[in-house]
Order: sequence, then C-alpha cells, then structure tokens
Amino acid sequence: MSAVEPADSAGHAADRSGFMQKYGHFLLLAPGVIWMILFLVVPLLMMLYVSFWTQSTFSISPDLTVKSWVTFFSSETYFGALLRTLRIWLTVLVLTFVIGYPAALFIGQHVRNKTVQTILLVACVIPFWTSFLIRVLAWRPMLGKEGAINIVLQKFGLISQPIEVLLFTELSVIIGMVQIYVVFMVGPIAFMLARIDDSLIEAARDLGASSWRIFRKVIFPLSLPGVVVGAIFVSVMVLGEFATASALSGRKVNLLGNIIVTQVGSLKWAFAAVIGVVLTFVMAVVIIGLLRVVNLRREL
Amino acid sequence: MRNFNFLKAGLGFYTALFITFLYAPFVVMGILSFQAGPEGGPQFPIIEWSTYWYQHVLGIAPPSRVAPLPIAEALTRSLTLAFATMVVSTVLGTLTAQAFRRHFKGSGFVFYLVVLGMMVPGVLLGLGMALVADQVGIARTWWGTAFVLHVVYTYPFAFLVMLAIFNRFDSSVEEAAWALGVPPGRTFRKITFPLIFPGVLSAMLFAFTLSYDEFPRTLFTGGSEVTMPIAIYGTFAVEIHPNLFAFGVLTTVFSFALLSVYGLLMAASVRRAKTKGIGVQEDIE
Repeated sequence: MSAVEPADSAGHAADRSGFMQKYGHFLLLAPGVIWMILFLVVPLLMMLYVSFWTQSTFSISPDLTVKSWVTFFSSETYFGALLRTLRIWLTVLVLTFVIGYPAALFIGQHVRNKTVQTILLVACVIPFWTSFLIRVLAWRPMLGKEGAINIVLQKFGLISQPIEVLLFTELSVIIGMVQIYVVFMVGPIAFMLARIDDSLIEAARDLGASSWRIFRKVIFPLSLPGVVVGAIFVSVMVLGEFATASALSGRKVNLLGNIIVTQVGSLKWAFAAVIGVVLTFVMAVVIIGLLRVVNLRREL
Repeated sequence: MRNFNFLKAGLGFYTALFITFLYAPFVVMGILSFQAGPEGGPQFPIIEWSTYWYQHVLGIAPPSRVAPLPIAEALTRSLTLAFATMVVSTVLGTLTAQAFRRHFKGSGFVFYLVVLGMMVPGVLLGLGMALVADQVGIARTWWGTAFVLHVVYTYPFAFLVMLAIFNRFDSSVEEAAWALGVPPGRTFRKITFPLIFPGVLSAMLFAFTLSYDEFPRTLFTGGSEVTMPIAIYGTFAVEIHPNLFAFGVLTTVFSFALLSVYGLLMAASVRRAKTKGIGVQEDIE
C-alpha cells in the first residue's frame, strides 16, 4: 500500500465521520425500527381494528360494531376460557418458580467451577434441540393409562389401579407446560446468582448470619431480577400457548390460544381478533406489573 | 458448616432429579422410536425392537397405511427459512446494538419496540399478519409473510445478545484505530467484527434454532406449503405414530452436529483472538 493512500482515506473518513455523526445513528436504527413497525406494530393494530368489524358467516366487512366484543364477554365458553387461561398460567408460573429455583440455586451458587456450571446449564438446554411439538407429544406415552409413569408405579406396587387423571386433563397440560418452560425460569435465575460477589456472602457469614438469613437477606434479593425475567419469559409463552393444550388435553382444555386457532380455522376473523386483543391486554398487564419490580434494561 | 454441606448435597441431588425430569420425554421418545412397525403405536410396551420407523422417516420402508412425513419439501423449506431468518436477524440485531453503544434520545422506545417482538405470542402476531395480508391482498407464503414474522421473533434475541457483547466491549481498541485514521468500515471489518464474532455466532445460533422450530406464527401465515413444524402439528388432529419420535431423534442428532460445529467455531475464534491479538496492528495496515 502506498504512503499516500492511508492519508487520503483518512481524509475521506473525516468527511464520512461527520456524516456518520449526524445520521449514522439513524441509518443503524432505521432498518430494525422500520421492520418492527411494519411487521409487528401494524399487525397488532390491525388486529385491534378488525376486532370491531362486522362478522358474517364466512367473511368480515369493515363496518364498525362491538358485537364480537359483546359475544365474548357474554358467552360462558369464551369468558370461561379466559379464566382457565389465567388459572393455568398462574399455576405453571408458581410451579416453574418453586421447581426451578432450587436447581438454579445449586447451579448458580453452589457450583463454583465455571466449567461445571456451564455444563449443567447446557445439560438443561439440550432437550430444546428436539422439536417443541415432538417434546409435547412425548408426554402422551408418559402419562397415559398404560404410560410409563403408571407402569413404573404399578411395578413398585405403589398403586394397584392405573391413575387415569394423568392424561387428557388439565393436569397433563400443566405437567407438560411446567416441564417445557421451567428452564426459562432456571436460566435467568442461575445467571443472576452466579454474578453475586462471593465476598458479600462471606462477609455476612463472618458477621454471624445463618445460612437461611443469608439466603433471605442477600441471595434472594440479588436473584430477584432473574426471577422477574424468568417470570416474564414463562408468562408470555404460557399465555400464548395452544399446542400443549391441544396435544395433551385431547382438546378438552381450551385456552384463549386454542379458541383463536379454532376461530381462524372457521374464518371467524373478527372474533379471533377480539380474543387476540383480550390476550394482548392480559399480557401487557402481566409484563408491566413484573417490570415494576425490576428495571430490565439496567440489569442486562 | 456441616449443615451447609448437607444443604449443598441435598440441592445437588435435587438438581440431578430436576435434570432427569427435563430429559424424561426425551428418553421416552428415544425408546418408542424403536417400536415395531407399522402396527406398533406410540405407547408402551414395546412390541418388538425395530428400526422400522427410522426407515419410514427416510422413505425406505415398504408403503403402509401410515402416511410418510413430508420430509423432502417441508424440511428443505424449514432449513431455508431458518437460514434466511438467521442472516437477516443477525444483521439487524448487530446494527441496532451498534447504535445502542451511544446514548440517544428515544433509546427506551426503540429498546422496547424491538424486545416486544419476542414478547408478543406467535398466535397473536400470526393472526395480525394474516389479517393484514388478507386486507392488502398479499398471498400468505412461508417465504413472505411467515419469513418477516420469523425475523420479528428472532431479531430481538440477536439484538440482546449483541447488546450484551457490546456492553462488555473495550472500545479503546476501536478508538485507537480511528485515531490512526482507519476508516470506520475498515475498523469494523478488522477490529470490531473479530472481537464481536463469538456474539455474532451465538446470535446466529439463536435465530436459526428459534426459526427452525417456530410454528404458531407460521401456522397462520405460512400458506399451503407447510414447513416441518406445521407438518408435525398437522398430525395432532389425526393419529400419531412413532415415526414422529424417530424423526425427533434424527433431528436431535442433527442439532447436536450443528451445536458441535458452533462449539468448534467458537473455540477456534477464542484461540485466534489469543494468538492473533498481537498481530492486529499489522492487519490494519
């Protein structure tokens, strides 16, 4: 490379950096922001708009009405689905926390070797390399009347009759969801726990605090952002679920997501949109509530 | 202290149980994939061990009443879609994260706008996009309407990964390059990119996996040409057969291969950063 050229390109760079200073930011941000507005914001607004359209048997027309909304809140089936969705969501959320926290505590706090920590976390993530739908389906031969769990329990003489409530009930949906989503709770919590400075805990111990007190006063509060992030992950996934419910409940447990799928299937767009808006509203309330506990952006 | 060790052992045992719980369906899937075919169903007990369902998946089993999975077309579509999604969302994520290295007005808005993409359930976004396509008069296809939603879903993950990378990034090397008059494009290629490469790989991995397994968004926007997850979802309505489990085992093995490539690339990049760190200066010239 000649001696002149670097100086030359430096001159260009100065010109360009002036331009970049002014508009560079805009250029970097524009593609992402435009993409999100066109393909995320517009569809969601469309959903809101269509929820007020008039639904006839097989088509919708843009004559504004609240008929679909009235149907939703006055129908036992649909309003019941809303309550059922909330109930299952809360149950799964609490269970993923209760089941996941001790494992996260062990991985994040008690395993001090970084390599072992990584191996354990990777071990938790590996099942995710199997297709989500196949993982859900694999619960059927586990929970069924002649499923793995009943066979094992009968072999050990713990039960004489197979337990039948395990499959095609609300319970099976909850078991399936907890198993699938618990990792999203464990990951963030373990991450936060691993970041706790050891000297903090040593200091507490030197000052004579009991293990339980250290957990309550130091470890748990510091892991709280992880809990919140995990709770957000689990909440958004469970609230928008329909596949687990349709695979493990034999279509007996209908969540809001299932109803949307059915309505779209029968071309009831306006009605599906109403349920979509209700679901969005529920999720917004849940996420905003959770974000009040912790500032997500500062924790990253 | 003894109390503490007892607690640790207890938690360790619990974690072992926990991981077993995570793997249970996986193990069941593995066992049942060797069920006898074509009459054996997806349940216990195993009638006879066989590899029939693997042959069935690969299309070399004699024809039977069980319809074969549309591997050839559906899998190709899924892989193509995942690849395109990976490229676009990693580029978008890197660009946006790069912009976030300086504080700017409205950064909070952009942050939440992007993160919203991974928050909104697929079923809602799929529905919204289907409605838009319906009104605008665009055909719903896996490479069009479904593709843009896949990016909406994976781009936030890429963005967050890159944001985390840039947060721990020592920008003095870059500043040194600028001070020496290296143009921004070249600085990015020679300095910034090698440093953020591990992050880029992770972002790509995230995007590819998420897109490959994505189905609620695709269900409403993918049109009549199905991707692999949609093909599997289609079997929900009818009877399921162990061929799904055989397919699951095969794809998991395939994923492991992919993960190993990722691990090797990662290790290579770390090694190169270590040995070549001193050579950066000559590289810029």
